[in-house]
Amino acid sequence: MADIGENVAEGSRSPRNSPRRIDGELILLWTLPAAVIIWASAFFLFPGFMPPMSPTMSADQVAAFYRDAAALPEIRYSMIVFNWFGVCLVPILTLIVMQIRRMAHRTPIFSYAMLGCVAGGPALFLVANVCWLLAAFRPERSPELTQLLNDFAWITFTILVPFLIAQSVILAVAIYFDDQPRPIFSRWVAHFNLLVAAALTPAAFVGLSLSGPLAWDGVLSFWVKNVAIGVWVVVMGVVLGQAVYRERAEIQRRGAELDGA
Amino acid sequence: MSTVVTPPESGSNAEATPPSGPTHRRIAWHLRHGPKRELWLAWSTLVVFYNLFFPMVFVVAQVQPPPAPAWDLATQVHYFHERHLGIPIGLGFIFAITGMTAVNNALIAYSMRRMSISRAFGYSYLLIYSLSALPGLLLLCIALIVATLRPERDPKVLGWLYDFAFLSFDGTMGVFLIGSLIWMVAILIDKNRVFPKWFGYLNLCNALTEVVVAPCWIFGRGVLAWNGQIAWWLDMVVFGVYQVTFIVMLFQMIRREDFGTGPMPDLPRKRATAS
Repeated sequence: MADIGENVAEGSRSPRNSPRRIDGELILLWTLPAAVIIWASAFFLFPGFMPPMSPTMSADQVAAFYRDAAALPEIRYSMIVFNWFGVCLVPILTLIVMQIRRMAHRTPIFSYAMLGCVAGGPALFLVANVCWLLAAFRPERSPELTQLLNDFAWITFTILVPFLIAQSVILAVAIYFDDQPRPIFSRWVAHFNLLVAAALTPAAFVGLSLSGPLAWDGVLSFWVKNVAIGVWVVVMGVVLGQAVYRERAEIQRRGAELDGA
Repeated sequence: MSTVVTPPESGSNAEATPPSGPTHRRIAWHLRHGPKRELWLAWSTLVVFYNLFFPMVFVVAQVQPPPAPAWDLATQVHYFHERHLGIPIGLGFIFAITGMTAVNNALIAYSMRRMSISRAFGYSYLLIYSLSALPGLLLLCIALIVATLRPERDPKVLGWLYDFAFLSFDGTMGVFLIGSLIWMVAILIDKNRVFPKWFGYLNLCNALTEVVVAPCWIFGRGVLAWNGQIAWWLDMVVFGVYQVTFIVMLFQMIRREDFGTGPMPDLPRKRATAS
């Protein structure tokens, strides 16, 4: 029963009960609002997102997009910002791993699986990011090659869903299996995560068409997927914050009880 | 996550006796009360993943077995033309389900956690195999999808995507090499009898396939090329045996699991006391 002991009833000997450890988690948690503002700014700064570039653009049109002297700095600066801050999702996902570890599970399978997903989304995003930056680095390159880099960037950006889907489903099942009177996350968080996973799935089929809902600028592959990611970040940020603060309050209360005794 | 395969005798909780009756009722009981439900769910995910992975790659997308590296550009272009639907559909499914590998890797990492060895083994395996999905699977799928997206692209560009995809698939070696060796060493030094020692050596066989495949980066034709009898076919046979074996090994591990920290008991029915 080592795992139950570790996951649920971490005794007073555990470093997790030290308030300082939770304070450190608060620093990581509060990077999220800043990251969201930065992500949103970079998103709206990139001229290819609002509206999304069409996959039906010819090679010459794509080359012209990167050769536009007014747009080029915006392309570069937005993608440099994304390169800096794209991985800010990792600490937040790791905080979710820490909360999964507190759940009433018998094994650490869910926290392991979640840990395995953590870097997947940001890593694929960085591949897309580098392709956009490469296309912008030498806009005078032959239009064929610029189009190739642009296709690679857009397909990777759209299809980066595998580990985002998995982490939502893993978190949902972890919540369903969290059998305790006061579960770490409410049941609706699990339902919500399954919904997000379903919303992300169509983007996996972006290669099927250059137009319509599945194309990279389409309703499902661009709007539904990206809105789902945005809503997930905000909602999970709030419920994660509540869970971390609740844990902190419990530790302080327990500490006060021990002092009183 | 996945459908749940009927778990066999799962656990040994005194109050936890699975009901007799229809299969779906037993599955529902195991999902709600089964003491090993987390492990069985992870194992079922593993089985479901491989049952989807192979049909999608081999039958729907038809990108494996791989085409010849020696084909001329016109044949390569034709290859992508033929698969303009199969690749985005089959590999689209791959993108939808690849996240399941995180659960598979978590189960294997758990097997090492159950051993009498450092946690470093399980964590290393988990991180290496999580990393492996990128160069070993996802990037090459993206290259194939990008190629089929515009078959009218310059054939030289398509040829570059062709090489990128198939070399990346065969030629991503270190993650699987070192990953298998970590599992091998863990099994060999483990004193908790989680797996039989011969299975440790089977890991070595899998690791060696990653050595044998290295010449695919050098040879454009022949048995050592990326579609060759040695670099692809022999390796695929070894991997097939290895994969079926580790699925069975993990199945047996879960059946024997007593959630203790000492040596694993032999078979569930031989256990006298509840965990």
